[in-house]
Amino acid sequence: MSAARRPDCAVIGAGPAGLGAALAAREAGLKDVMLIERDVELGGILPQCIHDGFGSIVFDEVLTGPQYAQRYIDRIEAADIDVRLNTMVLEMAPDRRITAVNAREGVIELEPRSIVLAMGCRERTRHQVMIPGYRPAGVICAGAAQRDINIEGIMPGRSVVILGSGDIGLIMARRFTLEGAEVEGVYEIMANPGGLSRNVVQCLHDYDIPLHLSHTVTFIHGRKRVEAVTVAQVDGGLKPIGETERLVPCDSLVLSVGLIPENELSLQAGVELDPVTAGPVVDESMHTSVDGIFACGNVVGVFDLVDWVTRTAETAGRGAAEYVLGKKKIRTPIRVNPGRNVRLVVPQLVRNLGREVDFYFRVQRPEREVRANVLAGGEQVFSRKARMVRPPEMIHAQISASGAAGKAKDITLEVVPHEKET
Amino acid sequence: MRTETSSLPARAGLVIVGGGVIGCSIAREATRYTPDVVVLEKESDVSCGTSKANNAEVHSGIGEDAGTLKQKLNVRGNQMYDEFVRGLGVEVKRHGMLIVVTQRVIPEETAGGMSEEEREEILTRKIPQGIVAYGEKAGIKGLRVLTRDEVFRMEPNVTREAVAGVFDGTYGLISPYKLTIALAEHAVINGARVFTDTAVTGFRVEDGGVKAVITDRGEIETSLVVNAAGVFADEVADMAGAGGFIIHPRKGATLLFDRQVTAEYVKSSVAEFRLPGQKTTQSKGGGAMPTDEGNLQLGPTAVETGDKYDTSISAEEIEEIFERFHYLLPDFPRDALISAFSGIRAPTLEEDFVIGASEAVLGFVNVAGIQSPGLASAPAIAEMVIGILHELGMPGEPRPDFDAVRPKPARFSQLSNAERNALIKEDPRWGHVICRCETVTEMEVLNAIHAVIPATNMDAVKRRTRTGMGRCQGGFCHNRVAAILAGELGIPITAVTKDGEGSPIFLGTAKDFLRGEGA
Ligand SMILES: Cc1cc2nc3c(=O)[nH]c(=O)nc-3n(C[C@H](O)[C@H](O)[C@H](O)COP(=O)(O)OP(=O)(O)OC[C@H]3O[C@@H](n4cnc5c(N)ncnc54)[C@H](O)[C@@H]3O)c2cc1C
Ligand SMILES: Cc1cc2nc3c(=O)[nH]c(=O)nc-3n(C[C@H](O)[C@H](O)[C@H](O)COP(=O)(O)OP(=O)(O)OC[C@H]3O[C@@H](n4cnc5c(N)ncnc54)[C@H](O)[C@@H]3O)c2cc1C
Repeated sequence: MSAARRPDCAVIGAGPAGLGAALAAREAGLKDVMLIERDVELGGILPQCIHDGFGSIVFDEVLTGPQYAQRYIDRIEAADIDVRLNTMVLEMAPDRRITAVNAREGVIELEPRSIVLAMGCRERTRHQVMIPGYRPAGVICAGAAQRDINIEGIMPGRSVVILGSGDIGLIMARRFTLEGAEVEGVYEIMANPGGLSRNVVQCLHDYDIPLHLSHTVTFIHGRKRVEAVTVAQVDGGLKPIGETERLVPCDSLVLSVGLIPENELSLQAGVELDPVTAGPVVDESMHTSVDGIFACGNVVGVFDLVDWVTRTAETAGRGAAEYVLGKKKIRTPIRVNPGRNVRLVVPQLVRNLGREVDFYFRVQRPEREVRANVLAGGEQVFSRKARMVRPPEMIHAQISASGAAGKAKDITLEVVPHEKET
Repeated sequence: MRTETSSLPARAGLVIVGGGVIGCSIAREATRYTPDVVVLEKESDVSCGTSKANNAEVHSGIGEDAGTLKQKLNVRGNQMYDEFVRGLGVEVKRHGMLIVVTQRVIPEETAGGMSEEEREEILTRKIPQGIVAYGEKAGIKGLRVLTRDEVFRMEPNVTREAVAGVFDGTYGLISPYKLTIALAEHAVINGARVFTDTAVTGFRVEDGGVKAVITDRGEIETSLVVNAAGVFADEVADMAGAGGFIIHPRKGATLLFDRQVTAEYVKSSVAEFRLPGQKTTQSKGGGAMPTDEGNLQLGPTAVETGDKYDTSISAEEIEEIFERFHYLLPDFPRDALISAFSGIRAPTLEEDFVIGASEAVLGFVNVAGIQSPGLASAPAIAEMVIGILHELGMPGEPRPDFDAVRPKPARFSQLSNAERNALIKEDPRWGHVICRCETVTEMEVLNAIHAVIPATNMDAVKRRTRTGMGRCQGGFCHNRVAAILAGELGIPITAVTKDGEGSPIFLGTAKDFLRGEGA
């Protein structure tokens, strides 16, 4: 067997996370950076996101998904980065050995000096949300439908019911309508929409597509192809209310019921996962629990905006470079505690409060007129007012603590009602 | 051979109705004596009926009533299995079954005048020993009584209410659809012909004997017919006037779990011992069992359904399964549920197998009422039917030219890196991964489409390669597999189906839609 190659850094996945990380690692001084992508092109999920709404923070512009991706692809092509398309990473070991495969070179074995995980996420399927009924053709996840329509030009449905009001579901309601299909309605089990408010307005209201909150699909009818679904209102415990059941004829059920970070490789390598984010536990440089393995983007947790994905990617790429170049001091980490009305936070650990640290967090429940605070050793190091916070949105906070707070032994993020300021 | 496009032969020595595990077992066994065998299957692939939706267990026979044909053929079938699959490229894994005796067999309140010692004596000795004696009487070997500690050592996840157990090491697991496909292919390699998308609609019977089989695609003259039509066997028998039994479809739902979470949850099939009056449903066996791929199954239910096509699952059934096994496996990881399926059992009113030559119609053999343990009994059922066919005039001399081997399709995910590289050198499509969750390559999909029994739709490819069976349930690979199918079959992608006519994956191209066209 030939000796394994030892690149300075191997980035797994070339969505916005992988693209950003590879560039940052290269720019921070690593010479041999490999970017491994199983798809035929760079960009991850972005080439299929032909709607606009990307880049408002990073570029202060409103771009489509392909446009956003292209800005990074151009830079990747100009940089000296070893890009492997059509290459699937099959295995990753705790000692960072990677096995990948492609049709041209066969099985590729690597022993990278650092790794950045950027595998993105996958969609939750019908069985993870337990929809009873038959198993006909015509039940499809929204992201998969998006790919069919926007990349392949084929229509998975003509009369469509959408379950779940996450952003992908909302965007696909509009897409199906624009392509000449009929969307009967979007059904959401929770009392609030799952996606961004702007998408509810721009994708549903503008096209007169009804949004049925506190509703779910209770049965899929049709032995060969979907013929109808039964929908019902749910009670406070999210249980369907029998009397409200209604049959909705349709030929497709499109599911937008959540995303799950794709961490099978991470688990193989023994990377510790956070049960709440379903992604690796990371520190402020996006270093995971396994030495030399970093992670960024949706594999760490589901981000609503690509801009934050890019930010985490740049941090991870720089972190990998520092690690390989021996600049990184490993200090004992302190835990970041989710405080009042905070459901999850990335990073979960901080090693050096002396530098700028970016936090991303989500709330547990919608709340009006609040303040988001970061406390280090009891001292407030960040505070910002918000008129409204909602669970689908990632809140960003950048802090740099100095003095006493810089030596704090604990950090807490909280969202609290703000007192009327006089 | 593209089975569904080639035309039916004018005549055949033996026609088998039904391409399930039973029809295909009989076909393969028959080709040991004659190549002149035809299998007719109304669906788009073999193994589309009950043989694709069951629990994959090679039972031992311990769960069957003494004296039934079911028990006799189950015990014999189990013993024949290793030999039966030799050369087929499909394995039986003898993983064993643990029957757990629990406190609630004799609830304390009903223990009446019994002393605690007496109760314990019954639970930990008399019952397990009774189970062993019952099994041994039926001819099952190697049954073993386990103490409570041994039960936990073997299966740490069973309830602390366990008091004793019986281990039956003869229990096995086999992929029922891989087995059925392999048997059909092995039969074809030895001269048989399998026609899918071909429904039998009647028979020509003259002078008290069968003369021809009538299908929706033409007639085949024959004087020997085997009716292995599963839940439809009563209707098929009636078409010939060879009936007299009724099949009442009984649905069984099973839940399937993510193997990443549940791989080691149980090592053997685990079931709880219940006294006859304590059974909650008519399903014996039942419990938690692994599949040949390491996913865990929980179930099945048993619900009489008037509809032979009712493979739906209700919310109540899902809940019922969780509830039913909650006592046996209290900390079950519910959240790892990835799939659920239903199969239809084919019981007669007598609840036993109906196997024999019709007295009304010469040359017509019924193989009906093949409910569970039909899969486990398949080798013995085929053996019995071959005996009957010999009596009815099928050639009796084994063929010297019988080919004992059906080549096993290579699975990329199970190969070493050296083997993988060798294949990729041969054909680079071995290096192109199509299904990310199950690591299935383009070449495996192509091989399935061009196999001896060709896969012509998404489900058929899935049964042969596992595309779409993993965590994302086809979200990633469905359009890739559909594109390969379209290319190889020379059809537009909009004609690709999930499982045959009426199940298109796509309803038109985006262009069709904008022009107001499409299906
Ligand atoms: C429908 C939809 C609409 C969206 N709309 C917006 C919007 O309007 N505005 C906005 O800012 N954001 C939006 N987003 C979010 C944004 O697109 C994502 O957050 C971002 O794409 C995530 O980037 P990523 O690189 O982490 O993951 P992905 O883009 O998913 O990239 C992961 C890559 O890793 C590859 N990969 C995975 N495993 C392997 C392996 N084993 N070997 C090799 N390669 C592998 C995959 O093929 C993929 O290319 C939207 C997302 C979706 C799905
Ligand atoms: C939930 C469940 C779990 C089970 N678990 C087990 C188990 O663990 N172990 C075990 O041993 N057994 C088990 N069984 C039983 C086992 O699955 C069956 O006994 C076995 O699959 C029956 O095979 P078959 O070939 O008779 O029927 P099928 O597989 O149904 O085959 C009959 C075929 O005939 C075809 N057909 C019907 N009518 C016509 C026609 N007119 N023309 C042409 N073709 C026709 C059908 O399309 C079908 O493909 C289980 C059953 C169920 C429902």
